[in-house]
Amino acid sequence: MKKTYKTFCLIMLSGMLINTSCKKDFKEINTDPNRSAAALPEALLTPSLWDVVTRNNNRALRLTHELMQDHVAVSDGDEVHRYVIRAGESDYMWNNWYLQLTNFKDMYNRANELNNKTFMGIALICDVYVSSLITDTYGDVPYTDAGKGREGVYQPKFDRQEEIYKDLFRKLEEANTLLATGNVMTTEQLAYDPLYGRTTGATSATTITNWRKFGNSMYLRLLMRASGRPEANALAKIKEIVDTNPANYPIFSNNDESAVVRYTMTPPYTSSFYGGRPFDFSGSNGLTEFFVNNLNQWNDPRRTRWATIDGGTYIGIPSGFQRGQVPERRSTYLDALMNEPLLGNIMNYPELQFLLAEAAVKGYIAGSAQTYYETGVVNAITFWGVTPPEDQLQNEFIKWNPEESDDLKMEKIHLQKYYTLFFTDFQQWFEYRRTGHPNLPKGAGLENGGQMPSRLRYPVNVQSLNSANYSAAVAAFGTDDLNTKVWWNK
Amino acid sequence: MAGIALFMYAAHVPQGAFAAPLAAVEYRQQTQDIITLSGTIVDDATGQPLPGVTIMDAQRKVYGTSNGDGAFNIKVPKGAVLSFSMIGYTASTLTLNASQAKLSVRLKESSSQLNEVVVTALGIKREEKALGYSVSTLDNKDVTNAISNNWTNALSGKVAGLNMVKSGGGPAGSNKIILRGENSLSGESEALIVIDGVITSGSSGRSTGTGSGAYLSSESPADFGNSLADINPDDIESVSVLKGPAATALYGSRGGNGAVIITTKSGRQNQKGIGVSFNSNTSIETISRWPDYQTEYGQGDVGQDLYYSYLATADGASTRSTSSAWGPKFDGQKFFQYDPVTRTTSAERLPWVGYENNHKDFFQVGTNFINSVALEGANNTSSARLSITNLKNKWIIPNTGYTRNTVALSISHKITDKLQITSKVNYTNKYSDNLPSTGYNNQTIMYFIRGLAPNMNMDWFKDYWTPGQEGILQNRPFSSLLDNPYLIANEMLNKSNRHNVVGNVTATYNFLPNLSLMVRTSMDMSYDARSQQRPFSTNKYATGMYRTQNVYNQEVNSDFLLRYNSKIGSKFEYSLTAGGSRMNNKYTLDEIRAEQLLYPGIYNFSNSKNMLVTLPNRSQYAVNSFYALGSFSYDNFLFMDLTARNDWASTLATPTSTDNVSFFYPSVSLSAVLSEKIKMPEAISFMKIRASLAGAGSGSTKAYQTAYAYGPTQFPGSLVNPTVIANPELRPLATTSYEVGLDTRFFKNRLEIDFTAYKNNTRDQIISSPIDRASGYNAVILNVGEVQNQGLELQVNGSPLKSKNGLNMNLYGTFSYNENKVVALADSVGTIVMSTGPRGSIEARVGGSMGDIYGLGYLRSPDGQIVYRNGYPVLDQNSKYLGNSTARYKGSFGTGFTYRGFSLNLLFDAQFGGRAYSLTHSVLADEGKLQKTVPGRYNGIIGNGVVQNADGSYSPNTVVAASTATFYKTHFQRDNVEANTFSTDFIKFREARFDYSLRPKLVEKLGLQRATIGVYGRDLFMFTDWPVFDPEFGTIGGSGEITAGFETGQFPSTRTFGLNISIGI
Repeated sequence: MKKTYKTFCLIMLSGMLINTSCKKDFKEINTDPNRSAAALPEALLTPSLWDVVTRNNNRALRLTHELMQDHVAVSDGDEVHRYVIRAGESDYMWNNWYLQLTNFKDMYNRANELNNKTFMGIALICDVYVSSLITDTYGDVPYTDAGKGREGVYQPKFDRQEEIYKDLFRKLEEANTLLATGNVMTTEQLAYDPLYGRTTGATSATTITNWRKFGNSMYLRLLMRASGRPEANALAKIKEIVDTNPANYPIFSNNDESAVVRYTMTPPYTSSFYGGRPFDFSGSNGLTEFFVNNLNQWNDPRRTRWATIDGGTYIGIPSGFQRGQVPERRSTYLDALMNEPLLGNIMNYPELQFLLAEAAVKGYIAGSAQTYYETGVVNAITFWGVTPPEDQLQNEFIKWNPEESDDLKMEKIHLQKYYTLFFTDFQQWFEYRRTGHPNLPKGAGLENGGQMPSRLRYPVNVQSLNSANYSAAVAAFGTDDLNTKVWWNK
Repeated sequence: MAGIALFMYAAHVPQGAFAAPLAAVEYRQQTQDIITLSGTIVDDATGQPLPGVTIMDAQRKVYGTSNGDGAFNIKVPKGAVLSFSMIGYTASTLTLNASQAKLSVRLKESSSQLNEVVVTALGIKREEKALGYSVSTLDNKDVTNAISNNWTNALSGKVAGLNMVKSGGGPAGSNKIILRGENSLSGESEALIVIDGVITSGSSGRSTGTGSGAYLSSESPADFGNSLADINPDDIESVSVLKGPAATALYGSRGGNGAVIITTKSGRQNQKGIGVSFNSNTSIETISRWPDYQTEYGQGDVGQDLYYSYLATADGASTRSTSSAWGPKFDGQKFFQYDPVTRTTSAERLPWVGYENNHKDFFQVGTNFINSVALEGANNTSSARLSITNLKNKWIIPNTGYTRNTVALSISHKITDKLQITSKVNYTNKYSDNLPSTGYNNQTIMYFIRGLAPNMNMDWFKDYWTPGQEGILQNRPFSSLLDNPYLIANEMLNKSNRHNVVGNVTATYNFLPNLSLMVRTSMDMSYDARSQQRPFSTNKYATGMYRTQNVYNQEVNSDFLLRYNSKIGSKFEYSLTAGGSRMNNKYTLDEIRAEQLLYPGIYNFSNSKNMLVTLPNRSQYAVNSFYALGSFSYDNFLFMDLTARNDWASTLATPTSTDNVSFFYPSVSLSAVLSEKIKMPEAISFMKIRASLAGAGSGSTKAYQTAYAYGPTQFPGSLVNPTVIANPELRPLATTSYEVGLDTRFFKNRLEIDFTAYKNNTRDQIISSPIDRASGYNAVILNVGEVQNQGLELQVNGSPLKSKNGLNMNLYGTFSYNENKVVALADSVGTIVMSTGPRGSIEARVGGSMGDIYGLGYLRSPDGQIVYRNGYPVLDQNSKYLGNSTARYKGSFGTGFTYRGFSLNLLFDAQFGGRAYSLTHSVLADEGKLQKTVPGRYNGIIGNGVVQNADGSYSPNTVVAASTATFYKTHFQRDNVEANTFSTDFIKFREARFDYSLRPKLVEKLGLQRATIGVYGRDLFMFTDWPVFDPEFGTIGGSGEITAGFETGQFPSTRTFGLNISIGI
């Protein structure tokens, strides 16, 4: 009996010992071995930028190029080229842009902790790039509160687009200042930069300067977008950048400085379409008459990089066709485009030239519109690694005519720019909304009253997940439909 | 030390057929006079010998078991209270003071299984009468009646309240078992799986898929199966299904979803010293059902119905590459077609004919051979059983299947009177050279099969390489989008080689007859080496691919259980159990990928064109627990259980704090055998009511949800912010359940009706709650949300015919109804998307149910008619509710007959109230392959519905659709989730088995102990409106999760016929 009780006590005692150790090691056990508690700012750059650009390509194929008649889907559903955009289409970019914005904002904060001005500047430029895409696509959107989930802000307030643009300009000013005296980039840091640092022969100085030029060129893109709104003071700033203080605002001066995430065939540095089936890329769509005919009239060598030949020639099909009248595909995208390095275009030199040409036509800046235009035309071709036809600038459909009306000049500039923005996120659409150029044909099968959508609706789940702010935003902004105009478009 | 120990096992009112001193017996502790008893044990009703009956005393000391002939020969202390017990029979007790031979012990079959010993949580054996909650018990026969690849299929129709979601993923066929409805918003609703005390559902039982999803651009997963499916059903002694938290309170954290407790066989004493039994099972599997294919029209896209041309010919442009069958009618005409000899356009026009069986020609008859041998024996101190099983499976798709070898060892040894050591170890090696990829994608067979047009002959695909370009260019006579199915089967391989050990070692020390300590360590460990290879020239991998995954799972659980029981007065008995456990779960998945290859046909990493992609993933969690159980009984009529448990879960710790890791929960259950105390009408022979109330907590089994951390990316040295915000304040979730039940037996136990009603609520769920992405994240980990399940279960057993050596008949049936409700989510959250299909999604919305399907559907007029425009139906742009993917009502009906050596068993089961989306239907209809798309070709069709007039009113549609093909395509396009969603109601003829046992005399002549031959069938027929193969399906995802609701290229449903021979030597 005694022995039994002794054993019993021993068990109870050991039980108590186990009890005290019940939580032992739990802190270590529940520390994630797959993930890192800390990150250097440069480590955040490549994957997020890659994510944004590849997803932009994905939607350029799905939405922009359908709306803008680069190609049309040859099927009879509710197609985007008929201006039908389902509510569900709104989610993809909203969700993914904001996720990557978190990385860019975090990159700024990490760089700030380390007092690294270069990466603070780069982070700001990326932030502006993504934020501008968000607001240009949807209108008034969460901005000041955006990306603050980690601080407990799960229901961010919406900001007016006017205020957002003001702050984007502020950020670009700050980036320009930071990069002017940026910290030297180490070799490792250069390798982390997919835009410039990884280029052969890149140095810290060229990389920082190129980022600065990218930031200021994008500044001009956004200033032009806001140029119709006097309260934005865009015109003065454009003049300052181009005419009065160009030394402080370096901008792209050649194609090589263009901001392009150059895709490779080596994972993970691959394009959005890498590894996919050619069928899913080009198997159910055909290039349009509008898209092909201009190139044919220009005898444009970019055709050889973009389009297949059908029956010995490049030939398109009508867009906006009626239901039940699905045309047969003719020329389509080349499969090679799926892995085309240049599809990673964020902003290129010719686009800048066309922006300047427009500014010159409108008298915002002093330079020659023709010079800008012609530089743009030539570089848009050479950007694609092909040689322009000899008499290109004399081609009757290209030739600059100083006597033409401003509207015809705008059409010329924007028709060229449309091709320069090939597979560049939503820019073709943004510019069309702002300017009404190029003059797209309107097929009989169009819906939405034949009216080009002016924005995407807010994602459906925002209505429940961020209900109060959504309602406040819609009250201030206007009906949440495809046709409400954003601030710069009013 | 006076008093009889009655731990966990009450003496019964004697029912044996022999007269012996049966009064409660005092026996003398010091007496060691040994007597020898021998005899046979037979079924009271049939007189058939009963093998495997356990003989033990009141202290649960086992003296032996009956052999294959029902014979026993044991040495026991004089005067011991011996109990003869076996699952499925009412135990009988006997006390003898002198040696006796030729004893005849007759056991009565317990149709109600009420006095039966059942295995409950932690392996504690209990008398069912004493339980305040419902337990369903199956014996070996139930799981071996009609053997299929995955023995868990045998649970269908036998357990009320059990819902099985099948991956349908090929030969390995994983099943997900859900008891009493889904309750977890994070998708962790599966029942706990316990094999011989080893919890395997969190380790080897967890499915780990490859790939990323079953639809198109994703990587098609293969189903590699899991350890649950790999148990050899012949090794199973019994399965207890504990459905509610009251039953599983002692399993703590992970028992909240109920548990399936599997006990494997132990050694039994045998007449000849060693018992040897052979079991051979041969079965074939054939396809049971096909979609309703049309065979009148051949290949051709919309508008291509006037002629056919393989490549451009004198007849016109090529129509060879479409998968659609909107082409010309097979009408005796001739066209330029494919010539399999020249592999291009035929020189002459050939007769335009269809190949009606082309879909079927690809498949083969599946075969399954299971051969096992078991050796067993026992003496007074030891028992052992060793079984070896070999399984060879060839599945219905050529070059798929697997081989499995299982070794099961069970040993038990009494070192002293007080110390007993037992151990059970199960080793399995499962090896496959190819398991089929699932889903709807170039790499899957079913993608090809749906793409096959009626004028294509399967033989044309058999040479899957282009001559002269073997290994480099595949032969695709028609669409270049469809990978050749023979290439898929023979070259796109998914291999697996898994080693799995589940085992435990238990030591029990009896300090006193009524005080014992059990210490046990169990381990579940599996290592799986998987690989996938793809040849050159495939759609997805133009230059091939090779990947490997090494998957290591390990769960170690050490626990102890201290038990004490006693009696106060003559009527009040109690037992107290206290225990503790320490569990540690580790998981490692290392994946290496070569996404492009340099040289064709060489599958190793040195042949990689690119830098290898490595994807390491490991996780670990631990739970420590203390628990106690008090069982009280009064006068063999009133029973009460109280449990309490405290868990410490590592998943609630943060890297800096362990403040939230501890949580406590209790349960209480009561049962009263009313018929003991209240005078019942004569018809009622027994009545018991039961009630329970239980709480269960859980810290989730998902580690690392409490600390913010940056994730790795494929870019060297780069990181990304997480998309889900961690929650350092995480608390345990809580489940509360109520259950009441009534068990009534009528007409001298010939009819038993067991009724259960339950309600359980799971709140404070640990979920990844979606937030507006503008916050920068997809979701935040929160303790929110509540899901309620309430329902009814009914189990009926009857024995309308019963006679000695004559015809016996029994009937049984189950019925269950479950109502699921999403009570709450986080305040701002209206819906949580649980899973998405090819189109549409399964969402949990407040006020709705888990499993609700949402998607686009027809635009309808206010009175519900389909709105047409230009002759075609219009799609509503708003998502709508289209039904629930879980069947609310389930039922079964089974019957068995025995007559002398013959027996016949039949089982039907059914489900009602569920719906699902069928992608296969959508695509087949879109491509004009179904019979339903024939009307209107090609003389026009008017859709039944309305058109909206200019003034907004509606009038009947009278517009003839310009194109019949477009008409059907518009109706059944994938986006139209409504048009492609169908009822999954079914009635299945699930099992049939006919057995013949050789007469004992003949068996003896042959020198055997027993011999049985049986034929069986499984899933013989089904009655359902489901348009493709099997309404009972799931879709396996990239991480092995099985989801219901969206059929995404399912494999054909099969029926199985088998032959079973069982011999005992």
